Amino acid sequence: MPFVKNVVKGNFYKDSLQLMQISEEAKKIAGVRDAAVVMGTSTNKELLERLGLLTKEGRDAREEDMVLAVMVEDEGQLDPAISRLEELLTRPAQAKARAYYNLDEALSAMPDANLAVVSVPGEHAKEIVKKLLDRGVHVHLFSDHVPHEDEAYLKKYASERGLFVLGPGAGTSIIGGKAIAFANVVNRGDIGIVAGAGTGLQEVSVLISRAGGGISEGLGIGGGDLKDYVGGIMALDGIRALEADPMTSVICLVSKPPSPKTLEKVISFVEAQTRKKYVLCFLGREKYEVNERLRGRVFATKSLHLAAVRAVGLSAGERAEGMIERISMSRDRLEGLASEIASRLKPEQKYVRGLYTGGTLTYETMLIFTELLGGVYSNAPIDDSFKLKDSYTSFEHTLVDLGEEEFTAGRAHPMIDPTVRKLRLVEEAKDKTVAVVMMDVMLGYGSNRDPAGAMVGPIREAVAIAVKDGRELPILAHVCGTDLDPQPLREQEEKLAREGVILFPTNAQMAVVAALAATRGQIPKDVKDRVLKEYLGL
Amino acid sequence: MSQQAKKLFGSELKVINVGLEIFHDDLAAQSVKVIQVNFTPPPKIEKEYEDILSKLL
Repeated sequence: MPFVKNVVKGNFYKDSLQLMQISEEAKKIAGVRDAAVVMGTSTNKELLERLGLLTKEGRDAREEDMVLAVMVEDEGQLDPAISRLEELLTRPAQAKARAYYNLDEALSAMPDANLAVVSVPGEHAKEIVKKLLDRGVHVHLFSDHVPHEDEAYLKKYASERGLFVLGPGAGTSIIGGKAIAFANVVNRGDIGIVAGAGTGLQEVSVLISRAGGGISEGLGIGGGDLKDYVGGIMALDGIRALEADPMTSVICLVSKPPSPKTLEKVISFVEAQTRKKYVLCFLGREKYEVNERLRGRVFATKSLHLAAVRAVGLSAGERAEGMIERISMSRDRLEGLASEIASRLKPEQKYVRGLYTGGTLTYETMLIFTELLGGVYSNAPIDDSFKLKDSYTSFEHTLVDLGEEEFTAGRAHPMIDPTVRKLRLVEEAKDKTVAVVMMDVMLGYGSNRDPAGAMVGPIREAVAIAVKDGRELPILAHVCGTDLDPQPLREQEEKLAREGVILFPTNAQMAVVAALAATRGQIPKDVKDRVLKEYLGL
Repeated sequence: MSQQAKKLFGSELKVINVGLEIFHDDLAAQSVKVIQVNFTPPPKIEKEYEDILSKLL
Protein backbone atom coordinates (compact mmCIF):
# COMPACT_ATOMS: atom_id res chain seq x y z
CA MET A 1 0.00 0.00 0.00
CA PRO A 2 1.44 3.41 -0.90
CA PHE A 3 2.10 6.11 1.69
CA VAL A 4 0.99 9.72 1.16
CA LYS A 5 2.14 12.89 2.90
CA ASN A 6 1.08 16.52 2.52
CA VAL A 7 3.03 19.51 3.76
CA VAL A 8 1.31 22.91 3.75
CA LYS A 9 3.36 26.09 3.39
CA GLY A 10 1.39 29.13 4.52
CA ASN A 11 1.27 32.24 2.28
CA PHE A 12 3.78 30.83 -0.19
CA TYR A 13 3.23 31.80 -3.83
CA LYS A 14 4.53 30.58 -7.17
CA ASP A 15 2.61 30.76 -10.43
CA SER A 16 0.85 27.67 -11.75
CA LEU A 17 3.38 27.08 -14.54
CA GLN A 18 6.32 27.08 -12.15
CA LEU A 19 4.44 24.67 -9.89
CA MET A 20 3.61 22.37 -12.80
CA GLN A 21 7.29 22.17 -13.73
CA ILE A 22 8.28 21.44 -10.14
CA SER A 23 5.55 18.76 -9.92
CA GLU A 24 6.95 17.06 -13.03
CA GLU A 25 10.46 17.08 -11.54
CA ALA A 26 9.14 15.79 -8.21
CA LYS A 27 7.70 12.72 -9.92
CA LYS A 28 11.27 11.75 -10.85
CA ILE A 29 12.55 11.76 -7.24
CA ALA A 30 13.80 8.29 -6.22
CA GLY A 31 11.04 6.21 -4.66
CA VAL A 32 8.24 8.63 -5.57
CA ARG A 33 5.24 7.08 -7.32
CA ASP A 34 3.34 10.35 -7.76
CA ALA A 35 3.70 13.93 -6.58
CA ALA A 36 2.14 17.36 -7.01
CA VAL A 37 2.83 20.87 -5.78
CA VAL A 38 -0.21 23.13 -6.03
CA MET A 39 -1.84 26.16 -4.49
CA GLY A 40 -4.58 25.16 -2.04
CA THR A 41 -7.60 26.04 -4.20
CA SER A 42 -10.67 23.80 -4.07
CA THR A 43 -9.98 22.74 -7.69
CA ASN A 44 -6.52 21.56 -6.75
CA LYS A 45 -7.71 19.80 -3.62
CA GLU A 46 -10.37 18.00 -5.68
CA LEU A 47 -7.68 16.88 -8.12
CA LEU A 48 -5.32 15.74 -5.36
CA GLU A 49 -8.20 13.71 -3.92
CA ARG A 50 -8.83 12.03 -7.27
CA LEU A 51 -5.12 11.25 -7.61
CA GLY A 52 -5.07 9.76 -4.11
CA LEU A 53 -2.66 12.49 -3.04
CA LEU A 54 -4.74 14.38 -0.44
CA THR A 55 -4.42 14.02 3.33
CA LYS A 56 -6.11 15.91 6.17
CA GLU A 57 -3.31 18.52 6.22
CA GLY A 58 -3.83 19.32 2.55
CA ARG A 59 -7.60 19.37 2.92
CA ASP A 60 -7.25 22.14 5.52
CA ALA A 61 -5.04 24.34 3.30
CA ARG A 62 -6.28 27.80 2.28
CA GLU A 63 -6.18 29.26 -1.24
CA GLU A 64 -3.07 31.29 -0.50
CA ASP A 65 -1.21 28.26 0.90
CA MET A 66 0.92 25.86 -1.09
CA VAL A 67 0.43 22.11 -0.76
CA LEU A 68 3.32 19.69 -1.30
CA ALA A 69 2.00 16.17 -1.87
CA VAL A 70 3.97 12.98 -2.39
CA MET A 71 3.09 9.29 -2.71
CA VAL A 72 5.80 6.67 -2.11
CA GLU A 73 5.95 2.87 -1.88
CA ASP A 74 8.06 2.75 1.27
CA GLU A 75 7.17 4.86 4.31
CA GLY A 76 10.85 5.60 4.94
CA GLN A 77 10.97 7.48 1.63
CA LEU A 78 8.34 10.06 2.64
CA ASP A 79 10.55 12.53 4.50
CA PRO A 80 13.51 12.39 2.08
CA ALA A 81 11.05 12.99 -0.79
CA ILE A 82 9.51 16.01 0.94
CA SER A 83 13.00 17.39 1.71
CA ARG A 84 14.00 17.07 -1.94
CA LEU A 85 10.74 18.77 -2.97
CA GLU A 86 11.50 21.69 -0.62
CA GLU A 87 14.91 22.01 -2.29
CA LEU A 88 13.29 22.15 -5.72
CA LEU A 89 10.96 24.91 -4.50
CA THR A 90 13.61 27.10 -3.00
CA ARG A 91 16.39 26.74 -5.55
CA PRO A 92 17.14 29.95 -7.41
CA ALA A 93 15.36 30.42 -10.72
CA GLN A 94 17.40 29.67 -13.83
CA ALA A 95 19.46 32.70 -14.64
CA LYS A 96 17.82 34.90 -17.27
CA ALA A 97 19.88 37.59 -18.89
CA ARG A 98 18.04 39.96 -16.53
CA ALA A 99 14.62 39.95 -14.99
CA TYR A 100 13.13 43.18 -13.65
CA TYR A 101 10.95 43.48 -10.58
CA ASN A 102 9.88 47.02 -11.33
CA LEU A 103 7.96 48.16 -14.42
CA ASP A 104 9.55 51.63 -14.46
CA GLU A 105 13.02 50.09 -14.65
CA ALA A 106 11.90 47.84 -17.50
CA LEU A 107 10.39 50.81 -19.37
CA SER A 108 13.68 52.68 -18.97
CA ALA A 109 15.63 49.64 -20.17
CA MET A 110 13.47 49.34 -23.30
CA PRO A 111 12.25 52.89 -24.02
CA ASP A 112 11.15 51.96 -27.56
CA ALA A 113 8.97 49.00 -26.47
CA ASN A 114 5.84 48.82 -28.68
CA LEU A 115 4.02 45.93 -27.01
CA ALA A 116 3.60 44.57 -23.50
CA VAL A 117 2.25 41.12 -22.69
CA VAL A 118 0.63 41.25 -19.26
CA SER A 119 -0.32 38.10 -17.36
CA VAL A 120 -0.81 39.11 -13.73
CA PRO A 121 -3.82 38.33 -11.52
CA GLY A 122 -6.75 40.34 -12.91
CA GLU A 123 -7.21 42.60 -9.89
CA HIS A 124 -3.67 43.96 -10.37
CA ALA A 125 -3.95 44.54 -14.12
CA LYS A 126 -5.42 48.04 -14.25
CA GLU A 127 -2.53 49.85 -12.61
CA ILE A 128 0.09 48.09 -14.74
CA VAL A 129 -1.78 48.50 -18.04
CA LYS A 130 -2.49 52.20 -17.44
CA LYS A 131 1.19 52.87 -16.82
CA LEU A 132 2.10 51.09 -20.07
CA LEU A 133 -0.53 53.07 -22.03
CA ASP A 134 0.80 56.32 -20.56
CA ARG A 135 4.17 55.38 -22.03
CA GLY A 136 2.63 54.71 -25.48
CA VAL A 137 2.90 50.92 -25.31
CA HIS A 138 0.20 48.64 -26.83
CA VAL A 139 -0.93 45.89 -24.46
CA HIS A 140 -1.87 42.25 -24.94
CA LEU A 141 -3.64 41.54 -21.65
CA PHE A 142 -3.69 37.80 -21.02
CA SER A 143 -5.05 38.07 -17.47
CA ASP A 144 -8.60 37.04 -16.78
CA HIS A 145 -10.85 38.13 -13.90
CA VAL A 146 -10.24 41.78 -14.79
CA PRO A 147 -13.28 43.68 -13.48
CA HIS A 148 -15.62 44.83 -16.29
CA GLU A 149 -15.32 48.47 -15.25
CA ASP A 150 -11.51 48.23 -15.44
CA GLU A 151 -11.74 46.70 -18.91
CA ALA A 152 -14.10 49.40 -20.18
CA TYR A 153 -11.95 52.15 -18.64
CA LEU A 154 -8.66 50.82 -20.03
CA LYS A 155 -10.04 50.31 -23.54
CA LYS A 156 -11.52 53.79 -23.71
CA TYR A 157 -8.27 55.23 -22.35
CA ALA A 158 -6.23 53.26 -24.92
CA SER A 159 -8.51 54.11 -27.83
CA GLU A 160 -8.23 57.84 -27.11
CA ARG A 161 -4.46 57.46 -27.45
CA GLY A 162 -4.56 55.33 -30.62
CA LEU A 163 -3.38 52.27 -28.68
CA PHE A 164 -4.66 48.71 -28.39
CA VAL A 165 -5.62 46.85 -25.26
CA LEU A 166 -5.96 43.31 -26.60
CA GLY A 167 -7.85 41.27 -24.03
CA PRO A 168 -8.39 40.84 -21.11
CA GLY A 169 -8.54 37.11 -21.31
CA ALA A 170 -6.81 37.37 -24.70
CA GLY A 171 -5.24 33.98 -25.18
CA THR A 172 -4.01 34.67 -28.67
CA SER A 173 -2.65 37.34 -30.98
CA ILE A 174 -0.45 37.21 -34.06
CA ILE A 175 1.44 40.43 -34.63
CA GLY A 176 3.99 40.99 -37.37
CA GLY A 177 4.03 37.23 -37.92
CA LYS A 178 4.94 36.50 -34.31
CA ALA A 179 2.81 34.31 -32.05
CA ILE A 180 1.79 36.12 -28.86
CA ALA A 181 0.82 33.90 -25.88
CA PHE A 182 -1.18 30.87 -27.15
CA ALA A 183 -0.83 31.18 -30.90
CA ASN A 184 0.28 29.13 -33.85
CA VAL A 185 2.98 29.75 -36.39
CA VAL A 186 1.03 30.44 -39.57
CA ASN A 187 1.82 31.66 -43.08
CA ARG A 188 1.84 35.39 -43.57
CA GLY A 189 -0.69 36.70 -46.06
CA ASP A 190 -3.48 39.17 -46.70
CA ILE A 191 -6.16 38.00 -44.24
CA GLY A 192 -6.47 40.03 -41.04
CA ILE A 193 -8.39 38.64 -38.07
CA VAL A 194 -10.08 40.45 -35.19
CA ALA A 195 -11.25 37.88 -32.65
CA GLY A 196 -13.06 37.98 -29.35
CA ALA A 197 -12.42 34.25 -29.04
CA GLY A 198 -8.94 32.84 -28.37
CA THR A 199 -9.16 29.35 -29.78
CA GLY A 200 -11.43 30.81 -32.47
CA LEU A 201 -8.49 32.89 -33.67
CA GLN A 202 -6.22 29.85 -33.44
CA GLU A 203 -8.60 27.61 -35.44
CA VAL A 204 -9.34 30.17 -38.18
CA SER A 205 -5.68 31.23 -38.60
CA VAL A 206 -4.52 27.59 -38.65
CA LEU A 207 -7.14 26.51 -41.20
CA ILE A 208 -6.37 29.46 -43.48
CA SER A 209 -2.67 28.63 -43.26
CA ARG A 210 -3.20 24.92 -43.86
CA ALA A 211 -5.27 25.76 -46.94
CA GLY A 212 -2.32 27.76 -48.27
CA GLY A 213 -3.54 31.26 -47.35
CA GLY A 214 -1.94 33.55 -44.80
CA ILE A 215 -2.50 36.01 -41.99
CA SER A 216 -1.44 39.67 -41.93
CA GLU A 217 -2.30 40.41 -38.29
CA GLY A 218 -4.46 38.56 -35.73
CA LEU A 219 -5.82 40.69 -32.92
CA GLY A 220 -7.32 38.90 -29.90
CA ILE A 221 -9.61 41.50 -28.34
CA GLY A 222 -11.02 39.33 -25.51
CA GLY A 223 -14.51 37.88 -25.15
CA GLY A 224 -15.90 40.95 -23.35
CA ASP A 225 -15.15 43.50 -26.06
CA LEU A 226 -18.33 42.84 -28.04
CA LYS A 227 -20.51 42.98 -24.95
CA ASP A 228 -22.36 46.20 -24.26
CA TYR A 229 -20.24 47.07 -21.20
CA VAL A 230 -17.34 47.72 -23.59
CA GLY A 231 -19.33 48.34 -26.76
CA GLY A 232 -16.80 46.91 -29.23
CA ILE A 233 -14.15 49.61 -28.70
CA MET A 234 -11.23 47.40 -29.70
CA ALA A 235 -13.21 45.50 -32.35
CA LEU A 236 -13.83 48.80 -34.16
CA ASP A 237 -10.26 50.06 -33.62
CA GLY A 238 -8.94 46.72 -34.89
CA ILE A 239 -11.12 46.92 -38.01
CA ARG A 240 -10.01 50.54 -38.62
CA ALA A 241 -6.35 49.54 -38.32
CA LEU A 242 -6.72 46.57 -40.67
CA GLU A 243 -8.71 48.70 -43.16
CA ALA A 244 -5.71 51.04 -43.27
CA ASP A 245 -3.12 48.24 -43.32
CA PRO A 246 -1.66 47.78 -46.82
CA MET A 247 -0.89 44.09 -46.10
CA THR A 248 -4.56 43.26 -45.46
CA SER A 249 -7.23 42.75 -48.11
CA VAL A 250 -9.72 40.47 -46.28
CA ILE A 251 -10.86 41.04 -42.68
CA CYS A 252 -12.35 38.28 -40.60
CA LEU A 253 -14.23 39.11 -37.39
CA VAL A 254 -14.70 36.12 -35.06
CA SER A 255 -16.76 36.13 -31.87
CA LYS A 256 -19.28 34.32 -29.75
CA PRO A 257 -22.65 36.12 -29.92
CA PRO A 258 -22.12 39.85 -29.30
CA SER A 259 -24.61 41.87 -27.23
CA PRO A 260 -27.40 43.09 -29.56
CA LYS A 261 -26.58 46.84 -29.38
CA THR A 262 -22.88 46.24 -29.97
CA LEU A 263 -23.62 43.83 -32.81
CA GLU A 264 -25.71 46.52 -34.50
CA LYS A 265 -22.96 49.09 -34.01
CA VAL A 266 -20.26 46.84 -35.51
CA ILE A 267 -22.40 45.77 -38.46
CA SER A 268 -23.39 49.38 -39.23
CA PHE A 269 -19.72 50.33 -39.17
CA VAL A 270 -18.71 47.51 -41.52
CA GLU A 271 -21.61 48.31 -43.87
CA ALA A 272 -21.09 52.07 -44.01
CA GLN A 273 -17.45 52.80 -43.30
CA THR A 274 -15.34 50.03 -44.80
CA ARG A 275 -14.35 49.04 -48.31
CA LYS A 276 -12.36 45.79 -47.93
CA LYS A 277 -13.81 42.27 -48.02
CA TYR A 278 -15.26 40.87 -44.77
CA VAL A 279 -16.15 37.57 -43.15
CA LEU A 280 -18.31 38.05 -40.06
CA CYS A 281 -18.26 34.88 -37.98
CA PHE A 282 -20.64 35.32 -35.09
CA LEU A 283 -20.92 31.87 -33.56
CA GLY A 284 -24.46 31.46 -32.43
CA ARG A 285 -27.83 30.06 -33.21
CA GLU A 286 -28.94 33.20 -35.04
CA LYS A 287 -27.59 33.82 -38.50
CA TYR A 288 -26.84 37.41 -39.44
CA GLU A 289 -28.23 38.06 -42.91
CA VAL A 290 -25.98 40.21 -45.05
CA ASN A 291 -27.57 43.29 -46.52
CA GLU A 292 -28.38 42.78 -50.23
CA ARG A 293 -26.09 45.68 -51.25
CA LEU A 294 -23.08 44.03 -49.62
CA ARG A 295 -23.34 40.55 -51.14
CA GLY A 296 -20.01 39.56 -52.60
CA ARG A 297 -18.07 41.87 -50.25
CA VAL A 298 -19.37 40.80 -46.84
CA PHE A 299 -20.11 37.20 -45.84
CA ALA A 300 -21.61 35.90 -42.60
CA THR A 301 -20.83 32.46 -41.22
CA LYS A 302 -21.85 30.44 -38.18
CA SER A 303 -18.75 28.27 -37.86
CA LEU A 304 -14.99 28.71 -37.61
CA HIS A 305 -14.63 26.15 -40.39
CA LEU A 306 -16.74 28.19 -42.79
CA ALA A 307 -15.09 31.47 -41.70
CA ALA A 308 -11.73 30.07 -42.85
CA VAL A 309 -13.23 28.70 -46.07
CA ARG A 310 -14.89 32.04 -46.95
CA ALA A 311 -11.78 34.05 -46.06
CA VAL A 312 -9.63 31.85 -48.30
CA GLY A 313 -12.26 32.19 -51.03
CA LEU A 314 -12.22 35.99 -50.84
CA SER A 315 -8.44 36.12 -50.68
CA ALA A 316 -7.55 33.59 -53.38
CA GLY A 317 -10.44 33.99 -55.86
CA GLU A 318 -10.29 31.35 -58.59
CA ARG A 319 -7.43 29.48 -56.91
CA ALA A 320 -9.50 28.94 -53.76
CA GLU A 321 -11.26 25.70 -54.69
CA GLY A 322 -8.11 23.56 -54.69
CA MET A 323 -6.95 25.23 -51.46
CA ILE A 324 -10.18 24.64 -49.58
CA GLU A 325 -10.02 20.91 -50.43
CA ARG A 326 -6.97 20.70 -48.14
CA ILE A 327 -9.13 21.36 -45.08
CA SER A 328 -12.53 20.05 -46.19
CA MET A 329 -13.89 16.54 -46.49
CA SER A 330 -16.72 15.79 -48.92
CA ARG A 331 -20.19 14.96 -47.66
CA ASP A 332 -19.79 11.36 -48.84
CA ARG A 333 -16.53 11.04 -46.95
CA LEU A 334 -18.00 12.47 -43.73
CA GLU A 335 -21.08 10.26 -43.87
CA GLY A 336 -18.99 7.20 -44.81
CA LEU A 337 -16.69 7.77 -41.87
CA ALA A 338 -19.65 8.18 -39.50
CA SER A 339 -21.19 4.89 -40.76
CA GLU A 340 -17.90 3.07 -40.34
CA ILE A 341 -17.58 4.30 -36.74
CA ALA A 342 -21.24 3.47 -36.00
CA SER A 343 -20.74 -0.10 -37.26
CA ARG A 344 -18.19 -0.67 -34.49
CA LEU A 345 -20.60 0.28 -31.69
CA LYS A 346 -22.82 -1.84 -29.48
CA PRO A 347 -26.50 -0.83 -29.27
CA GLU A 348 -26.10 0.70 -25.79
CA GLN A 349 -23.27 2.98 -26.95
CA LYS A 350 -25.33 6.11 -27.66
CA TYR A 351 -23.62 9.17 -26.28
CA VAL A 352 -20.89 11.56 -27.35
CA ARG A 353 -18.37 12.87 -24.84
CA GLY A 354 -16.27 15.87 -25.81
CA LEU A 355 -13.22 16.70 -23.69
CA TYR A 356 -12.08 20.13 -24.84
CA THR A 357 -9.29 22.47 -23.86
CA GLY A 358 -10.42 25.28 -26.20
CA GLY A 359 -13.48 27.29 -25.14
CA THR A 360 -14.47 28.50 -28.60
CA LEU A 361 -14.08 25.04 -30.08
CA THR A 362 -16.35 23.68 -27.32
CA TYR A 363 -18.87 26.35 -28.23
CA GLU A 364 -18.73 25.58 -31.97
CA THR A 365 -19.34 21.89 -31.24
CA MET A 366 -22.16 22.76 -28.84
CA LEU A 367 -23.94 24.71 -31.57
CA ILE A 368 -23.66 21.80 -34.01
CA PHE A 369 -24.78 19.27 -31.38
CA THR A 370 -27.73 21.41 -30.31
CA GLU A 371 -28.97 21.25 -33.90
CA LEU A 372 -28.15 17.59 -34.59
CA LEU A 373 -28.65 15.98 -31.18
CA GLY A 374 -31.03 18.33 -29.38
CA GLY A 375 -29.73 18.72 -25.87
CA VAL A 376 -26.10 18.51 -24.94
CA TYR A 377 -24.97 18.79 -21.33
CA SER A 378 -21.98 20.91 -20.40
CA ASN A 379 -20.26 22.76 -17.60
CA ALA A 380 -20.57 25.84 -19.86
CA PRO A 381 -23.85 25.25 -21.74
CA ILE A 382 -25.59 27.62 -24.14
CA ASP A 383 -28.87 26.80 -22.42
CA ASP A 384 -28.67 26.73 -18.61
CA SER A 385 -31.16 23.86 -18.37
CA PHE A 386 -28.37 21.66 -19.75
CA LYS A 387 -25.80 22.59 -17.12
CA LEU A 388 -24.06 19.54 -15.66
CA LYS A 389 -24.88 19.02 -11.98
CA ASP A 390 -21.24 18.08 -11.42
CA SER A 391 -18.62 19.25 -13.92
CA TYR A 392 -16.57 16.16 -13.12
CA THR A 393 -19.35 13.73 -14.11
CA SER A 394 -20.77 13.46 -17.62
CA PHE A 395 -24.43 12.83 -18.38
CA GLU A 396 -25.84 11.62 -21.72
CA HIS A 397 -24.31 13.78 -24.51
CA THR A 398 -21.72 15.91 -22.71
CA LEU A 399 -19.19 18.52 -23.77
CA VAL A 400 -16.70 19.58 -21.13
CA ASP A 401 -14.76 22.82 -21.42
CA LEU A 402 -11.73 21.97 -19.30
CA GLY A 403 -10.55 25.59 -19.50
CA GLU A 404 -13.40 26.78 -17.28
CA GLU A 405 -12.79 28.15 -13.80
CA GLU A 406 -13.71 24.99 -11.87
CA PHE A 407 -10.84 23.13 -13.56
CA THR A 408 -8.27 25.94 -13.66
CA ALA A 409 -8.40 27.86 -10.36
CA GLY A 410 -4.78 27.84 -9.17
CA ARG A 411 -3.67 25.50 -11.95
CA ALA A 412 -2.17 25.83 -15.41
CA HIS A 413 -4.64 25.82 -18.31
CA PRO A 414 -5.37 22.34 -19.74
CA MET A 415 -3.64 23.34 -22.99
CA ILE A 416 -0.46 23.26 -20.88
CA ASP A 417 -1.25 20.77 -18.15
CA PRO A 418 -3.04 17.64 -19.45
CA THR A 419 -3.62 16.07 -16.00
CA VAL A 420 -7.36 16.76 -15.75
CA ARG A 421 -8.14 15.51 -19.25
CA LYS A 422 -6.02 12.40 -18.78
CA LEU A 423 -8.06 11.42 -15.72
CA ARG A 424 -11.35 12.30 -17.41
CA LEU A 425 -10.68 10.23 -20.53
CA VAL A 426 -10.14 7.13 -18.41
CA GLU A 427 -13.36 7.87 -16.50
CA GLU A 428 -15.36 8.19 -19.74
CA ALA A 429 -14.02 4.83 -20.94
CA LYS A 430 -15.68 3.13 -17.96
CA ASP A 431 -19.14 4.28 -19.09
CA LYS A 432 -20.74 1.61 -21.30
CA THR A 433 -23.14 4.11 -22.87
CA VAL A 434 -20.36 6.19 -24.46
CA ALA A 435 -20.30 5.90 -28.26
CA VAL A 436 -17.35 8.15 -29.07
CA VAL A 437 -14.98 10.45 -27.22
CA MET A 438 -13.77 13.56 -29.05
CA MET A 439 -11.08 16.06 -28.18
CA ASP A 440 -9.13 19.04 -29.45
CA VAL A 441 -5.34 19.04 -29.35
CA MET A 442 -4.03 22.59 -29.41
CA LEU A 443 -0.52 23.18 -30.75
CA GLY A 444 1.51 26.37 -30.96
CA TYR A 445 3.47 28.58 -28.63
CA GLY A 446 2.16 28.66 -25.06
CA SER A 447 0.78 25.11 -25.28
CA ASN A 448 2.21 21.88 -23.89
CA ARG A 449 5.25 20.88 -25.92
CA ASP A 450 3.85 17.40 -26.65
CA PRO A 451 0.09 17.44 -26.12
CA ALA A 452 -0.56 14.37 -28.28
CA GLY A 453 2.22 12.41 -26.58
CA ALA A 454 0.77 13.31 -23.18
CA MET A 455 -2.53 11.65 -24.13
CA VAL A 456 -1.03 8.38 -25.46
CA GLY A 457 -0.93 6.64 -22.06
CA PRO A 458 -4.53 7.53 -21.11
CA ILE A 459 -5.74 6.62 -24.64
CA ARG A 460 -4.23 3.16 -24.27
CA GLU A 461 -5.74 2.79 -20.82
CA ALA A 462 -9.17 3.94 -22.05
CA VAL A 463 -9.13 1.59 -25.04
CA ALA A 464 -8.02 -1.32 -22.81
CA ILE A 465 -10.91 -0.69 -20.40
CA ALA A 466 -13.40 -0.81 -23.28
CA VAL A 467 -11.84 -3.93 -24.83
CA LYS A 468 -11.89 -5.76 -21.49
CA ASP A 469 -15.56 -4.89 -21.36
CA GLY A 470 -16.16 -6.38 -24.82
CA ARG A 471 -16.68 -3.09 -26.72
CA GLU A 472 -14.74 -0.60 -28.79
CA LEU A 473 -14.21 3.03 -27.88
CA PRO A 474 -13.64 5.17 -30.99
CA ILE A 475 -11.63 8.29 -30.14
CA LEU A 476 -11.84 11.31 -32.46
CA ALA A 477 -9.44 14.24 -32.44
CA HIS A 478 -8.81 17.50 -34.20
CA VAL A 479 -5.24 18.73 -33.94
CA CYS A 480 -5.25 22.52 -34.28
CA GLY A 481 -1.80 23.45 -35.50
CA THR A 482 0.62 23.69 -38.39
CA ASP A 483 3.88 22.06 -39.36
CA LEU A 484 5.59 25.34 -38.50
CA ASP A 485 4.54 25.07 -34.83
CA PRO A 486 7.07 24.14 -32.12
CA GLN A 487 5.23 20.78 -31.99
CA PRO A 488 4.95 20.03 -35.73
CA LEU A 489 1.43 19.02 -36.78
CA ARG A 490 2.46 15.92 -38.68
CA GLU A 491 4.39 14.45 -35.73
CA GLN A 492 1.52 15.15 -33.34
CA GLU A 493 -1.08 13.62 -35.67
CA GLU A 494 1.09 10.54 -36.22
CA LYS A 495 1.33 9.92 -32.46
CA LEU A 496 -2.47 9.86 -32.24
CA ALA A 497 -3.01 7.91 -35.47
CA ARG A 498 -0.70 5.17 -34.18
CA GLU A 499 -3.13 4.73 -31.26
CA GLY A 500 -6.08 4.37 -33.67
CA VAL A 501 -7.40 7.89 -33.09
CA ILE A 502 -9.53 9.17 -36.00
CA LEU A 503 -8.28 12.60 -37.08
CA PHE A 504 -10.16 15.54 -38.59
CA PRO A 505 -8.83 18.63 -40.33
CA THR A 506 -11.35 20.90 -38.59
CA ASN A 507 -13.31 20.85 -35.36
CA ALA A 508 -16.68 21.36 -37.07
CA GLN A 509 -16.20 18.28 -39.25
CA MET A 510 -15.28 16.20 -36.19
CA ALA A 511 -18.44 17.40 -34.43
CA VAL A 512 -20.68 16.46 -37.36
CA VAL A 513 -19.17 12.97 -37.70
CA ALA A 514 -19.40 12.35 -33.93
CA ALA A 515 -23.10 13.26 -33.93
CA LEU A 516 -23.88 11.17 -37.03
CA ALA A 517 -22.01 8.17 -35.61
CA ALA A 518 -23.64 8.30 -32.17
CA THR A 519 -27.13 8.53 -33.72
CA ARG A 520 -26.34 5.99 -36.46
CA GLY A 521 -27.33 8.71 -38.92
CA GLN A 522 -30.89 8.83 -37.57
CA ILE A 523 -31.24 12.59 -37.92
CA PRO A 524 -34.06 14.14 -39.99
CA LYS A 525 -32.76 14.83 -43.50
CA ASP A 526 -33.81 18.49 -43.51
CA VAL A 527 -31.91 19.11 -40.24
CA LYS A 528 -28.81 17.29 -41.48
CA ASP A 529 -28.88 19.13 -44.83
CA ARG A 530 -29.20 22.49 -43.10
CA VAL A 531 -26.36 21.85 -40.64
CA LEU A 532 -24.02 20.58 -43.36
CA LYS A 533 -24.79 23.70 -45.41
CA GLU A 534 -24.68 26.30 -42.64
CA TYR A 535 -21.66 24.95 -40.74
CA LEU A 536 -19.61 23.17 -43.40
CA GLY A 537 -20.79 24.79 -46.64
CA LEU A 538 -21.73 21.36 -48.11
CA MET B 1 -3.98 53.71 -39.69
CA SER B 2 -2.98 55.77 -36.66
CA GLN B 3 0.70 56.48 -36.07
CA GLN B 4 0.46 54.31 -32.95
CA ALA B 5 -0.99 51.34 -34.88
CA LYS B 6 1.83 51.74 -37.45
CA LYS B 7 4.25 51.56 -34.56
CA LEU B 8 2.88 48.07 -33.89
CA PHE B 9 2.15 46.57 -37.33
CA GLY B 10 4.90 48.17 -39.35
CA SER B 11 7.82 47.91 -36.93
CA GLU B 12 10.00 45.32 -35.30
CA LEU B 13 8.32 44.02 -32.14
CA LYS B 14 9.93 45.08 -28.86
CA VAL B 15 8.12 43.49 -25.96
CA ILE B 16 7.95 43.93 -22.21
CA ASN B 17 6.57 40.72 -20.70
CA VAL B 18 5.00 41.19 -17.28
CA GLY B 19 4.16 37.91 -15.55
CA LEU B 20 4.34 34.37 -16.87
CA GLU B 21 7.87 33.64 -18.04
CA ILE B 22 6.73 31.12 -20.64
CA PHE B 23 5.55 34.03 -22.81
CA HIS B 24 8.97 35.66 -22.52
CA ASP B 25 10.70 32.43 -23.50
CA ASP B 26 8.35 31.78 -26.42
CA LEU B 27 8.88 35.30 -27.81
CA ALA B 28 12.64 34.97 -27.40
CA ALA B 29 12.46 31.65 -29.28
CA GLN B 30 10.88 33.58 -32.17
CA SER B 31 13.82 36.04 -32.15
CA VAL B 32 11.64 38.83 -30.71
CA LYS B 33 13.42 41.40 -28.52
CA VAL B 34 11.79 40.88 -25.12
CA ILE B 35 12.53 41.69 -21.49
CA GLN B 36 11.01 40.04 -18.44
CA VAL B 37 9.30 41.73 -15.50
CA ASN B 38 8.59 39.31 -12.66
CA PHE B 39 5.36 39.88 -10.79
CA THR B 40 4.72 38.99 -7.18
CA PRO B 41 1.33 39.83 -5.69
CA PRO B 42 1.43 42.21 -2.72
CA PRO B 43 1.21 40.16 0.50
CA LYS B 44 -2.34 39.49 1.61
CA ILE B 45 -3.23 41.37 4.77
CA GLU B 46 -5.18 39.26 7.22
CA LYS B 47 -8.86 40.25 7.25
CA GLU B 48 -8.87 41.38 10.88
CA TYR B 49 -5.89 43.71 10.34
CA GLU B 50 -7.52 45.04 7.18
CA ASP B 51 -10.67 45.88 9.17
CA ILE B 52 -8.64 47.66 11.84
CA LEU B 53 -6.70 49.61 9.21
CA SER B 54 -9.84 50.66 7.37
CA LYS B 55 -11.29 51.97 10.64
CA LEU B 56 -8.15 53.92 11.40
CA LEU B 57 -7.74 55.46 7.92
